[in-house]
Amino acid sequence: MIKLVQTLVDGFGVGSTYALLALGISLIFGVMHLVNFAHGELITVGAYASYFFFLHGGSWWWMPVIIIASAALASVATELVAFRWVRNANPFTLLLTSFAIERLSHALWQIFVSPKQRAFPKPQWVFNTFSVGGVRFEVMDVVTIGVTLVTLAITAIVFKRTMFGIAVRAAAEDFDAARLMGVRANRVISGAFAFAGALAGVAACLILMRSPAADPSMGSDWLLKAVIAAVIGGLGSFTGAVLGGISLGLLETFTRAYLPDVAGGLDRFSTGVAFIIIAAFFVIRPEGVLRVATAERV
Amino acid sequence: MEQLHSQFRKLARSITASAMLLAAVAAVALTYTSTGGASRDLLVGEMLSNFVLVLGMQVFIGNTGVLSFGHMAFAQIAAYSTAVVAIPLATKAKALPQLPFGLADVAMGAFGSTLFAVAVTMVIGAIFGIAVGRAKGLAPTMITLAVLFVVDQLVKNWTELTRGAGGLSGIARLTGNTWLWVGAFIALVVAHAFQETRIGRFAIATREDDLAAPALGIRLFSARYSAWVVSMGLMALGGSLRAQSLGSVNPKQFTLDAGILVLAMLVVGGMRTVSGAVLGTVVITAGNELFRQLGDPQRLAIERFPDLFLGGVMLLVMVLRPGGLLEDRDVASWLRQRTHRPAQASPTSAAAGTRTLEARGIVVRFGGFVALRGASVSVRPGEIVGLIGPNGAGKTTLFNVITGLVPEQQGQVRLGELDLSHAKPVDVARAGLARTFQNLRLFKNLSVRENIELTAMVAHRHRAHRARVDVESLLDAAGLRDVAHRHAGTLDYGNQRRLELARAAALAPEFLLLDEPTSGMSDSESLAMVDSVREAAARIGAGVLVIDHDLGFITRISDHIVVLSDGAVLAEGTPDDVRNDPAVAAAYLGSHA
Repeated sequence: MIKLVQTLVDGFGVGSTYALLALGISLIFGVMHLVNFAHGELITVGAYASYFFFLHGGSWWWMPVIIIASAALASVATELVAFRWVRNANPFTLLLTSFAIERLSHALWQIFVSPKQRAFPKPQWVFNTFSVGGVRFEVMDVVTIGVTLVTLAITAIVFKRTMFGIAVRAAAEDFDAARLMGVRANRVISGAFAFAGALAGVAACLILMRSPAADPSMGSDWLLKAVIAAVIGGLGSFTGAVLGGISLGLLETFTRAYLPDVAGGLDRFSTGVAFIIIAAFFVIRPEGVLRVATAERV
Repeated sequence: MEQLHSQFRKLARSITASAMLLAAVAAVALTYTSTGGASRDLLVGEMLSNFVLVLGMQVFIGNTGVLSFGHMAFAQIAAYSTAVVAIPLATKAKALPQLPFGLADVAMGAFGSTLFAVAVTMVIGAIFGIAVGRAKGLAPTMITLAVLFVVDQLVKNWTELTRGAGGLSGIARLTGNTWLWVGAFIALVVAHAFQETRIGRFAIATREDDLAAPALGIRLFSARYSAWVVSMGLMALGGSLRAQSLGSVNPKQFTLDAGILVLAMLVVGGMRTVSGAVLGTVVITAGNELFRQLGDPQRLAIERFPDLFLGGVMLLVMVLRPGGLLEDRDVASWLRQRTHRPAQASPTSAAAGTRTLEARGIVVRFGGFVALRGASVSVRPGEIVGLIGPNGAGKTTLFNVITGLVPEQQGQVRLGELDLSHAKPVDVARAGLARTFQNLRLFKNLSVRENIELTAMVAHRHRAHRARVDVESLLDAAGLRDVAHRHAGTLDYGNQRRLELARAAALAPEFLLLDEPTSGMSDSESLAMVDSVREAAARIGAGVLVIDHDLGFITRISDHIVVLSDGAVLAEGTPDDVRNDPAVAAAYLGSHA
């Protein structure tokens, strides 16, 4: 029982980070059919921003602001520098463009900072623990889940209630129609990139509080998981992205925790098993959990 | 006999094109190695094994347009398969004491172990390929990504077979680059020849438009799957050659990053052609090496300048020239054009079909919206039926139901005795219905002639019971002979419409379904289209169901008109009946007469 609760909390913890990243990926896919493989680099940007902030005497109180702002700015910058110029290209070209950005980002951090990891201090309270009913929780678990819930609530309000959010959803549904209704393409797309960047910034905060270090390729692993989560949920679907993120987190922690029990000796393959399940899922349900109505007309 | 001759010509062309490309690469490589030491031979060796991998990716990704991240996983399977049989027995007993599957006593030479690796990889690849070929949209890409991780985890953790992350060494090495040149040549011939085969052409059609290809009788799965299996063979050859030229194998050689390097080689040169893949490999290998030497090993632990080069080049190419440096320029198609002897047009005519196309009581709902509420239409053999109605009346939806793109909730579609109610688009097309699309779905990067030839190939294969359609006379009839060599995407609107009609006619269908064939045309062009459609239909003996907004066009062309309004048939009859029907006028003009 204790193990189950612990595994659930762990799963939700890592899953909510995936969810925040997947939400950004799904958002960008919705407005311009780009699967953004450069999205993970926003975590790296946040990490280096906080590293430099610390070098100049910063503290963890202001850190989230720095991280979120830098990630959002970097996100908008990638759109201005690269994606704007290929906006109407096919998804294949878009995807490879984002790969190019990812490579460039790796290279630039390595050349101008260092190929080695740069660490900075972590907040004091992160690994403090408390216990409820015999189960020990880390403060960070509560912070992670709390921050994610608040962020998702804000996201929901933005997309349901504000003009910007409605314009983005309209654009995701049918961009041409939205433009005819007076939605400005540049503004909506820049806004969507800024918002996706901010969400990645929140995810970066959660990641960096646990392991405060910057290294040039840190974004890649998170990114791949987030892309998988977004596709599991159904690209373009915001609820799907959150579901996909949480399910991926739970799948990972549960295979790691319980596979040795059911199949002793096979636990070394637990990561592999998780990916086999994912592959099987895509075979059975290629559109993801939530199907998104496409605006393609024939 | 003529068939055999044409097969032979295609093979000869593939071999010639491959030899020309390889000669060019050899000239560059020789100039390079003659001015430097043995390390330069190593670089050439690396480039040659990359060649095979790039061409392996080209066969699948380049021809089908489906991105795969998992190809490197299969090169890895091949490299390890090679290792476990090519490492000498004594070394193997020490390194892999618990080797499963009775492999402990197996020792093979270079040739045997390469064949073994290719066979193992193709079998495993063929199994995964079923999943990849069936999936749609982004799912195949995601499946291949998951496969890459699964294989990576297996290799790292199945230590009895692989010795884990450290890798295996002591593989009997190939001396010199001779066998790598041979491997590169084989890969070139295979990649060229695949593009010449019928299934290869079909794969290219699915890349150009994965909706139009099935609607013209090309089965998505078999086209993609064949490309996948062939490409697995080349990935295996590449992986095996790499293992044997380096003498060792480890998981780091086959990561996602390594795969992206190979992918970059493919897309920078131009993934659609073999020549593009070759140019890309040379450019990226050379650039990588140049930037590697720029890196200062004193200051930077690992040289990261190659990434700077790779990212920069990819970004520039994607923004400025998304089709790659060569786009569709290609030694093979240059040869094809040079040796092409324009055939004489030999107009044929076919007897009209005998079956009636009938859709009865069709009901379609999209969520709460009812698009069709019991609409019916029937077309007799050789008859031309016009389908009109205000916007949103359900005309295109009815087309989509008949051709299998949209499932109907109620009702039936029949072609004579044949029930097409639940048939897939590809089977509908093969049964004898060919359609065009409202918003034009040509194979844009293929020439005008190739567009028509592709469906003629389908007809030849699946509709051989109908009279054979002559591509040349279709070109003439559509007035497209002068632009036959141009890319379909570069034609003006009217010509694109005419090409779509000719392409559909080349399927030798019993019925042509034309969705707004005159939209975007001038009045005089529309008038000419009346004759074009009549002439094409008569030539292939097909009936026609045509949607259009141009009432002048519809009344001139149709024998019978069906008026749809609000998802149901409002009126039908001869053009005169319909013109004088007050209900039709009301629906069109909105007056409550």
